[in-house]
Amino acid sequence: MDDITKNIKRVLIVFLICFVGLVSYITYFEMVVGPKIVNNAANKRVWVKRNEVLRGTIYDRNMQALTKSSKIDSTTQKREYTAGAMFAHVLGYVDIKYGLTGLEKKYDEQLIYSSVQDTVMSYIKSGGKTQAKLGNNLKTTLDYNVQKKAYDLLGDNKGAVVVLNPKTGEILAIVSKPSFDPNNLEANWASINSNKNMPLINRATAGLYPPGSTFKTITAISAIENVSGIMDRTFNDTGKLVFNSKESLSNFNGEVLGNITFKQAYVHSSNFAFGTLGLDLGNSKLKETAEKFFFNSDTPADGITIENSKFPTLKSYEKGNIAQSAIGQSSVLASPMEMALISATIANDGVMMKPYLVSEVMKNSGEKVKTIEPQSIKQVISANTSKIMKDFMRTVVAEGTGTNAALSDINVCGKTGTADHSYDGSNTPHSWFIGFAPYDNPQVAIAVIVEDGGQGGIAAAKIAAGVIQTALNK
Amino acid sequence: MVVNVLRADRDERKLLRYTYLLCIVCFVNLAVLKQPFDKGALVMSVVTCLLIGYSYFVIRRFFSDGDKYIFIFSSILSVIGIVMIYRLDMAVSIKQVIWFAVSVTGFILTVVIVPDLKRFSKYKYIFLIFTIIFMGMCMVIGTEVYGAKNWVIIGKFSFQPSEFGKLFFIAYLASSLKDYKDFKSLIEPAVVVMICLGFMVLQKDLGSALIFFGISVTMLYICTSKLKYVMACIGMFAVGAAISYQIFDHVRLRFLIWRNPWSDVNDKGHQIVQSMFSLASGGLTGTGLGLGHPEYVPVNTSDFIFAALCEELGILIGFAIIILYFLLFYRCMRAAFYGEDKFSRLLAVGFSTMIACQVLVIIGGVTNMIPLTGITMPLVSYGGSSMLITFLALGIIQKISEEGR
Repeated sequence: MDDITKNIKRVLIVFLICFVGLVSYITYFEMVVGPKIVNNAANKRVWVKRNEVLRGTIYDRNMQALTKSSKIDSTTQKREYTAGAMFAHVLGYVDIKYGLTGLEKKYDEQLIYSSVQDTVMSYIKSGGKTQAKLGNNLKTTLDYNVQKKAYDLLGDNKGAVVVLNPKTGEILAIVSKPSFDPNNLEANWASINSNKNMPLINRATAGLYPPGSTFKTITAISAIENVSGIMDRTFNDTGKLVFNSKESLSNFNGEVLGNITFKQAYVHSSNFAFGTLGLDLGNSKLKETAEKFFFNSDTPADGITIENSKFPTLKSYEKGNIAQSAIGQSSVLASPMEMALISATIANDGVMMKPYLVSEVMKNSGEKVKTIEPQSIKQVISANTSKIMKDFMRTVVAEGTGTNAALSDINVCGKTGTADHSYDGSNTPHSWFIGFAPYDNPQVAIAVIVEDGGQGGIAAAKIAAGVIQTALNK
Repeated sequence: MVVNVLRADRDERKLLRYTYLLCIVCFVNLAVLKQPFDKGALVMSVVTCLLIGYSYFVIRRFFSDGDKYIFIFSSILSVIGIVMIYRLDMAVSIKQVIWFAVSVTGFILTVVIVPDLKRFSKYKYIFLIFTIIFMGMCMVIGTEVYGAKNWVIIGKFSFQPSEFGKLFFIAYLASSLKDYKDFKSLIEPAVVVMICLGFMVLQKDLGSALIFFGISVTMLYICTSKLKYVMACIGMFAVGAAISYQIFDHVRLRFLIWRNPWSDVNDKGHQIVQSMFSLASGGLTGTGLGLGHPEYVPVNTSDFIFAALCEELGILIGFAIIILYFLLFYRCMRAAFYGEDKFSRLLAVGFSTMIACQVLVIIGGVTNMIPLTGITMPLVSYGGSSMLITFLALGIIQKISEEGR
C-alpha cells in the first residue's frame, strides 16, 4: 500500500469524524437548543399556527360573550374585547407584539384547540375541503353585572375588588383600576406603558398592599387557636401601646376604648389590644397562622396567578415590628385576592376553596369538552374558630367600624382596614374592606381596596355594600 | 465474478428505482397540496426522472467501467433539492431543472470527451492563470450580494467566478503537488493558496476561503504525508484569521453573530435566528412537505435550504442528506484510491474534498455550529454555477474512476 492510499484512508476517517460531529451537533441542537428557542417571540410560526384556528370565545357565567374573534386573512385575526377596559386584567390580551397575558395566556391551549386536525383521515372525511378551524370556548365564573358594578363603584379611584363564591371558589369579579383598553393595544401602548399609575398591573392579584386592620382577622384567629382563655380576656385600652422611649402604637384617631373584651377589640379595631396580642403570640405563632392562609407561598388557583403575600420573620426583640405586624403594618403585604380568600375561608366554615375562573370548556358547537368542579384546598381553621370569627365580623358591620357596609335586607359581615403606607409619599391611608354575606348562608365573599381612600369604614365599605347587593340580587 | 457483477448491477438499479420513487412521491405530495391539483408538479417529476434515467443509461451503456454510484447519489441529492425548491419557489425550480439538465450534460460530456486525464497534468501554469483570473475577477467587476462581493453580473447572466476558480485551483494544486520532492517545491503552491485566500477575504467571501483552505490542506497531506505541514498550515490559518478579525469588520461581525445571534434578532442576527427557528420547528419528522413555514427563512432556496428541508421533512431527512453526502464523498475518494497516476488521484481528492468541505461549512453554518458563511449546498441548493461546477467535478472523478485500476 503506497503513501497516498494510506493517506486517503486517514483523510476519510477525519472527514467521517467531522460528519459524525455535524450529526451529533444537530441532535444536540434539536434536543437541547430547539425546545428553548421555538417559542421565541421573533418566531412567526407560533403566531401563524395560532392564527390557523379562530380563537374561541370567552363567556361570563350567564353566557354573555366577553370576546369576539374574526378572521382578517388566513394568517391573521382580530380579537375584540366587548367590555373593553372592564375585564382587561382578568381576561388579559393576545397580541403578536405584546404577547399573551391573563386568562388568554392561561387557557391559550384550549382557546386555540380545534378538533379539525390536519390528518389524512380528516382530509378524506371532508372530501378534500378545508374545514374552518374554530377554537374551544370558555365559560367563566365571572359575572358581568357584578364586575360592572364593582368597576363603576371604584370610579376614578385606584384600587381593586375581588368577589368570590366562598362555597365553591368561583371568581365572580376581579376589578383592577386604573385599567386600559385591550382593544387597539398598538395605538395605546406608549401611553399605557408610560402611565405612572401602571394600568397594566392587575392590582387584584399582583398588587401587594399593607393589609392594615383587616389583618387583625388573622391575628384574632391565631389568638383563638393559641391563647387559652382568650374569649374571656379583657384589655385596658389606653389608646397607646408604648414599647420603649421611641416606639409606640396608637389607636386610629387617638381613640381610647377603655376596658374591652377580645370581641370588642376586634369590632372596634383596637390597635392597642391587637398590638398586645401580637406580642403575646410572638412572631412565629402569628407567622404560622398567616402561612396557613398561603402568606409566603403560592396559592393554588386556576386561570389566574396570585402573587405571594408576605409576612415577615422577626426577631423576638423587635417588639415594635411584631406589634405592628399583628395589625397588618410593618412589612406585612397582602394582595386583595389573598384577603378575599381569608374572608371566604371564614365564611365557608374554615375550608378554603381553590379560586377558579373557568367552569366549562366547550366546543364551538356548544358540546362540553371539560367541566371544572369546585375543589377544596384544605381545612385552614376549625369550624368552631370560623364560627367565632363569623360572629365577630357580623358585629363589625352591625355595630362596629363597618356599619357603612350594612344592607337593609342582608346580614353583611366584614372587617375594615385603614392601612398606612409611606412608600409614595402620600399621607392618606389605603381604605380596605373584606367580608362576606349573608351571615347565615354565605354566598359571596369580597375584598375591596381603594388606594389612598382614607378610612376603611367609609370608601371601601360602601363599595363592598354595593357590590354585595348586586351579587346577591340575582 | 459474473454473479457479483450482476448483483451489483441489480443493487444499482434498485437504488435508481427508489430515486424515481422518491421523486414521484414528493412531487405528487406537492401536487395534492395545491388547490386545484397542480399538474406542473407531475410534469416536473417526469422531466426529472427522464433526465436521470437517460443519463444513467448513457453512462452505464457506454462507460460501464466507472463508478456506479457517484451519479446515483448525486441524482438523489439533486432530486431532493429540486423538490424543495419547487415547494419554495416554482419559477426558480424550473430554472434549477434546466441547470440540472445542463449540468448532467456537462457531466456526460466530461466523461465522453475529455481524453486521457494524465495529459492535463502539464498545463500547470495555464491552470494557475485561470485560477488567478477567476479569483481576482470579483475584485474588479464584482457585485455585492448578501454581504459578499462574489458575484459577477453581465447583462442577464450572473455567476460566481470563485466557483469556476475552484476547479482550476484544484487542477493547479494537483499538477503542482504531483511533483513534490522537498519543501522547496511547496513554496510556489503555498504562495498561490495565500493569494487566493487573500482575495476571498477581501471579497468578504469567507465561506469560500474556508473551503479553499480545507482543500489545500487535504491535498497537501495526501501528497506529502507530513502531519507537521498540516499543523503549520492550521497555525498560519489561525494567525491569518486572528489578523483578519482585527482588521476587517465583516469578519468580526460574523464571529460575534455566531457567538450571540440573539443580540440583534431583527437585523444582523436575522438570518441565522430564522434558520434556527426553522430547524427547531421541524423536529424529528418535520412538519410535512408544504406544511411548514420555511418562507420566513431568508435565502431559503440556496444557502439556507438545509434549514428549510429540516423544517418540512424533519431532522431525519437532514441526517439522510448528510449520510448521502458522506457516501458520495466516499465513492469519490474511492476513485482517488484506485486512481492511475498521482495527478488524477490528487485531482479526485481535491474535488471530493471540495464537496465535503462545502457540506460541512454550510450545514455547520445554518445550524450555528460554526460562524455562518454564505455558500451553496452542493447539488441541493439552487445555483446554476454551483451545480454545473459540482457536476463537472463529479464528471472528472467519474472519468478517473473509469481509468483506474
